[in-house]
Amino acid sequence: MPHECTTCGRTFPDGSKEMLSGCPDCGGNKFQFAPAGQVSADTAETAESADVAESADSTSRSGSTDTAGTVERAAKTVRGWVSSNSGQASDSQTTDDPQSAVDTTPPAANGRSESSEIAPAGREETPRESDRPDDDRSWPSSDESAEPESTAETAAFDEWPETARRPEDRSDAAANDPTPTDGPTPGAGSTRTEGDSDGGAAPAQSASRPRSRSDSPTPSQSDGTDSSEGGDGSIMADSEDAAQADARSAIVQTDDLPDETDAHDRTATSTDETDVPPSERGRVVSEPSGEQPSIEELRAELNEQFESIKIVSPGQYELNLMELYNREEYIISLQEDGRYVIDVPDSWHAEDDEE
Amino acid sequence: MGLYSQLKDSISRVTDRLFSEQEPKRIGIYGPPNAGKTTLANRIARDWTGDAVGAESHIPHETRRARRKENVEIERNGNSVTIDIVDTPGVTTKVDYEEFTDEMEKDDAIRRSREATEGVAEAMHWLREDVDGVIYVLDSAEDPITQVNTMLIGIIESRDLPVLIFANKIDLDDASVKRIEDAFPQHKTIPLSAKEGDNMDEVYDNIAEYFG
Repeated sequence: MPHECTTCGRTFPDGSKEMLSGCPDCGGNKFQFAPAGQVSADTAETAESADVAESADSTSRSGSTDTAGTVERAAKTVRGWVSSNSGQASDSQTTDDPQSAVDTTPPAANGRSESSEIAPAGREETPRESDRPDDDRSWPSSDESAEPESTAETAAFDEWPETARRPEDRSDAAANDPTPTDGPTPGAGSTRTEGDSDGGAAPAQSASRPRSRSDSPTPSQSDGTDSSEGGDGSIMADSEDAAQADARSAIVQTDDLPDETDAHDRTATSTDETDVPPSERGRVVSEPSGEQPSIEELRAELNEQFESIKIVSPGQYELNLMELYNREEYIISLQEDGRYVIDVPDSWHAEDDEE
Repeated sequence: MGLYSQLKDSISRVTDRLFSEQEPKRIGIYGPPNAGKTTLANRIARDWTGDAVGAESHIPHETRRARRKENVEIERNGNSVTIDIVDTPGVTTKVDYEEFTDEMEKDDAIRRSREATEGVAEAMHWLREDVDGVIYVLDSAEDPITQVNTMLIGIIESRDLPVLIFANKIDLDDASVKRIEDAFPQHKTIPLSAKEGDNMDEVYDNIAEYFG
């Protein structure tokens, strides 16, 4: 019950459509996100996702909100996919990730529209994500150099979303044959993972491929972030990254073989689709929340666009005489929903008017 | 028969336009609601054609569509002037159905309000394209300095349309023609009572002079 009516306190499950038309009890139209009441796994998940989205928004407000948010979401979803597919709960973090990943799609969408409402809650993942958006900002600089590892993480994050950068990473870390076969995106991830698990190059590559699989539903950016995380983990040996890398590597082995062929296609497609899928997701989720306001907003928009007549309420109008005078169209009739029937005047109207 | 005469009128109008230099000027009767525009239009039409233009009412926005009376031939001093009279809905910036709820049911009041709004839009559109001159009718008992009056006079002036200001309802006790003259000193103001028929000679003289 994450959403609570601010007037009467009635709570609604996340995604509830009831609240779209106002609180059925009191008619209130203000709701607050109430993560405190987390009891069920669902609520916890939603809260997490919400937190993620918020952190992403807060950090990345400057300009790259969408990209940062999408990257984060994608990263989570990818983790979730990987972990869930593998069926392995390697770390507490990873366990959290799959949950969040499941939820991430809806909250991600919400993140854009409802981000302000969502209450923050600090979690292990959030710092990473918060870093990522920053990384996004610093993309250009990071792209140029595969630099010392501290920057390398951020750089990796930034670079990864854009497939073109990976070749550079390859050269830096270690250029392997399999990477080119996978195509630009997965290959880069594989190289770094390989660096960690030098023993089996094949499994490492395979690991990168499953990521790409997981990515395929999500945007390519998600691949980049995930792979980057994995790569970072391998290089940096950070606790978080390492755990993820472990989980991934394990997963990869199981999943690799069947999907390899697909991986190529997906990577290729993913590169193309990078922008589209996240936006689609966002729309799908956000639409229900947006619908109800959209009616009023539409009316407001109409009134603004056609300033010549403002419908205060049925039977009550405010008229902008100058607008009416200036407009070319001839308003034949007016409807209460804010629409006009208009026509271009001709000289025919005299006959009707006379009678 | 109405149809026939209508057809005849329109044909004659077309032929007039095509072959006659004296194309009838289309004079729009403008003003705020309830200033007596329709009463004036009816009086002019009755005086010179025998027909009325439209229904009059003390309830504002009785005229919600522009009505036109064509080929009103006014003879003054041996000359004849033919004009088309366009009676327009009262122009206002705000229409509220609650103005009418004393006189009618709420649904009717709302409909009247909506139609009145459409009428204002129509009147403004006519002013933009379809009139060659304006008779601006004001209620002498009301303060003439309003947003609507100022704006409409301004629009008319911006179009360089010939305009006469008719200070109507001089039969009322608190009528003040001077107040209107002072408000719009740049235009000729003619006092009259369309309802009583007072001072109509001067009205027709000026119509013939201005719009002939």
